[in-house]
Amino acid sequence: MTVIRYLIRRLRALWRSDDIHDEIAEEMRFHIELRAEENVRRGMTAEEARREAERKFGRFSRIKEQGYEVRGGRWLEATWQDLRYSVRLLMKTPGFTLIATLTLALGIGPNTAIFSIVYATLLAPAPYPNPDQLVIVWSQARGNREGTSFADYLEWKEQATSFQYLEPFWPRGFNLATQEAPERVRARQTSTNGHRMYGEGVLIGRDFAPDEDQQGKNHVALLRHRLWSERFGSDPGVIGRDIRLDGTPYKVIGVLRPGVNDRLPADLWIPLPMKPDEIANRQFRPLLVSGRLKPGVTIEQAQQEMNAIARRQAERFPDSNAGRSLSVEAYQNNFLPSDRVRNLWLLLAAVSFVVLIACVNVANLLLSRGAARERETAIRAALGAPRWRLARLALIESLALAAAGGALGALSSVWILQGILAILPRFTLPAEADPRLNLPVLLFTLAATALSGVLCGTAQAWRASRTDWNDALKKAGRSSSGSGRRSLRHALVVVEFAMAVTLLAGAGLTILSFWNRTQIELGVRTDNILTFGLPVNEGRFSSTAQIDGFYRTLLERFQEVPGVVHASVSAPAVPLLSTGFSRQFSVVGQTDVAPSLRPRAGVHMVTPEYFETFGMRLVRGRALTADDGPSAQRVAVVDERFVNRFLEGKDPLGQGVVMGQFVPGATRLGPGGAVPGSPAEWRIVGVFRDVSNMERFDDPGQPQIYLPFAQSPWPQAMVAVRAANSPEALRPSLAAAVQSVAPDLPLMDVRTMDQIVGERLAPDRLNVALYGGLAALALALAAMGIYGVMAYTVAQRTPEIGLRMALGARPAQVRLHILREGLTLAAVGLALGLAGAYALGRAMQSMLYGTDALSLPVLFAVGLVLLGVALGACYAPARRASAVDSMIAIRSE
Amino acid sequence: MTKRKPDLPQGTLDMLVLKALSLGSMHGYGIGQRIQQLAENMLTVEEGTLYPALYRIEERGWIESEWGASENNRRARFYKLTRAGRKQLQVEESNWEHLSVAVRKILEAS
Repeated sequence: MTVIRYLIRRLRALWRSDDIHDEIAEEMRFHIELRAEENVRRGMTAEEARREAERKFGRFSRIKEQGYEVRGGRWLEATWQDLRYSVRLLMKTPGFTLIATLTLALGIGPNTAIFSIVYATLLAPAPYPNPDQLVIVWSQARGNREGTSFADYLEWKEQATSFQYLEPFWPRGFNLATQEAPERVRARQTSTNGHRMYGEGVLIGRDFAPDEDQQGKNHVALLRHRLWSERFGSDPGVIGRDIRLDGTPYKVIGVLRPGVNDRLPADLWIPLPMKPDEIANRQFRPLLVSGRLKPGVTIEQAQQEMNAIARRQAERFPDSNAGRSLSVEAYQNNFLPSDRVRNLWLLLAAVSFVVLIACVNVANLLLSRGAARERETAIRAALGAPRWRLARLALIESLALAAAGGALGALSSVWILQGILAILPRFTLPAEADPRLNLPVLLFTLAATALSGVLCGTAQAWRASRTDWNDALKKAGRSSSGSGRRSLRHALVVVEFAMAVTLLAGAGLTILSFWNRTQIELGVRTDNILTFGLPVNEGRFSSTAQIDGFYRTLLERFQEVPGVVHASVSAPAVPLLSTGFSRQFSVVGQTDVAPSLRPRAGVHMVTPEYFETFGMRLVRGRALTADDGPSAQRVAVVDERFVNRFLEGKDPLGQGVVMGQFVPGATRLGPGGAVPGSPAEWRIVGVFRDVSNMERFDDPGQPQIYLPFAQSPWPQAMVAVRAANSPEALRPSLAAAVQSVAPDLPLMDVRTMDQIVGERLAPDRLNVALYGGLAALALALAAMGIYGVMAYTVAQRTPEIGLRMALGARPAQVRLHILREGLTLAAVGLALGLAGAYALGRAMQSMLYGTDALSLPVLFAVGLVLLGVALGACYAPARRASAVDSMIAIRSE
Repeated sequence: MTKRKPDLPQGTLDMLVLKALSLGSMHGYGIGQRIQQLAENMLTVEEGTLYPALYRIEERGWIESEWGASENNRRARFYKLTRAGRKQLQVEESNWEHLSVAVRKILEAS
């Protein structure tokens, strides 16, 4: 308490030294007036009374000064003096000042940028009113998050009392048709309350009416501000107009306020109709449910309530709900994987290392500068400057440097942040996170700056307060500087190298991991292939034959396009983007197990050209052909994983696989997965090489089954076109080919396979860029550090070196001597850094592929790089040492 | 004829200020007056020592000050005892008693 009051007074003294003076003066005037009044009462004249009062007060100004000093004013003035003195000194050595400032800025700039990302993602409250009340309710089965059925949701809504809002949503894509061309938009289909939960109001027009979730009334839409301004030119006349989503007219009733909505992956909001057939199907689980807790209700209380509801549902509907639990979780960052959270903290730790290295460098610079100023300091000490005052001067000097470095760093962090955000793959950060330089970030930077200032200055302050200045003064003129100072500086260099090793090893691991990942055998050729989807809605086809016919026609048109070598259609997607529809199956003739325990495989429906398009290698049997039509025998090809896992030791060809059929419409694919149709048998006719599952590297992947598209057509499929060369050039003619068949269908997600591979590697590339950048920075700083120390050592030891040479040492020997000294420091740092490297490697493990926390090749490379850099940095000082003219050197003593 | 008043032993002024303020908060002039009254005019406190003492004591956290209105409604700086000051006063009082007993014993020795 007293400490705080003391600090407040000191701080006040900083702003308001005039005020202190004024207050004291006022108090004294008051005193004198009272004294004079009393004197008058005693019978003096007014004039006498005043003079007597003032005389009694003694020397007015002296008391005032004493009061000022006691009240903290002197302290302030002395500090101000020291600061001005420091700044003057720094201005006198602009080279030193510039290097020290830049060094600190190099640390603080990236640090601020990374912290602004960490802050926006992990620390800042979500940009909604009362964000703590927002939750997501997950339905869980066997520990996996799953979607929720309409019936489940309606029962929660009816029974739960913890929530102000409990709203379902179903994120979906639609084609938005306008005059020019169709465009893909993302809609959030939700209850009519859905957007209100987030506290966003309507800017113009009106909100959803409560009954607009009824079928027939549900064809209304709220646009978000961004869509309205980008797509409709902010025209208020759009209200009341019809837009066509997947061909169905929706009336625009309003535009949402600009804000967080414009960051979320939803261009517009439409009501989610409660259809009786969907409510009846408890297996159909497409919904995500989020809610807003009532004020004062905790997540735990809501969880208890939902547990009870889950139990009741499991008893009443064992078929669909047995073993299902509910989990109420905070909404913020619910979709952010935990290893990404850790990666962010790790990155902040790594960049803090760079700051520390920068501090060590500046500390060393200050030490050598302090040594150069030793004589001046000694004189100050001799003239009576107290030791603490010398130490304080050193600290103030480094704080001044840190302030300049921090300001420069904060400024540069704007660009660094932009650079990082530019290379961040999509969806790395949650949509709500908006990293920018705001007040909390600046406060953090201020704290980091102050801390750096103290760190940089501590060594020198300690030296200044500890040195025996009498001794220094006696020796002044001769370059003295005891071994204490040198070993301190050497220790700092060792620390610096140890930290650089840690970062270098981390960067090495990311590079190795990236390399490993690029070396994964994909099992498909990725060159010269263009892929795209077609936003086909469910109502487009009335029969499977129509689906097959539609895609068949498309493929024929594509074949006519010049430059197209192969074209294929596959569902659900192309290789590397999907591992197929996950489906349980059994092998004919093998002892069957309970349906829930049957193994799973990923199922693809592909046209015969698929295998040629992707250059997949046939191992046994045959590929699928055009003859495998709807009326022919059901056939399938599988991959080697399938054979190894389920048909070991048998001839796979001719084996039968039984699983539920894929019936479009009935077999809907929400987040809850497909509902299988009646079982059927497929006969295996061929085996292909495995295709890599690039989504999850650590997972060998589900075995894959490929069915003929014609035998199991699926409305939403992707097209892949192998071009003779430059696949992207084909895009316009392919789009035209689609238009000729279906004028309302745009090409969706057009990418080459190489781009898809690139996207899959993006997180690794990002790690390489970030950690590599930091390590390069650390290495450069460490090199500067060791150069500075060695150059200084040589300068200091010039007389000694001169003596050695006078006594017959050869230049080469001298050079070697200096180099050895530098390399010893680097080597000790290297050894110490191994521990840090191991710790960092362990922490990074979850983002690495194919390497352990300690990788010998990486460590070896790091050691080589580091020693090489140290050698390079020490070479110039060593050369300078060997060029010392012995006579001049000795005479200078 | 005014009797010559003795100088205060060093350190006693602080205690007297604390004692004066233990009777209620007061401005600097009042503190001087109050000490004088309590000592039945046997002591006077020089302004030149009073104010530095006040600032010093305040800096130690035994008293705190704020601006207020004086009896005749003028702006004056009022000092008041803090909790720490009250404790300090007790300590000093007992020290003083101890000391004065000891000194008297010495002086009365025959």
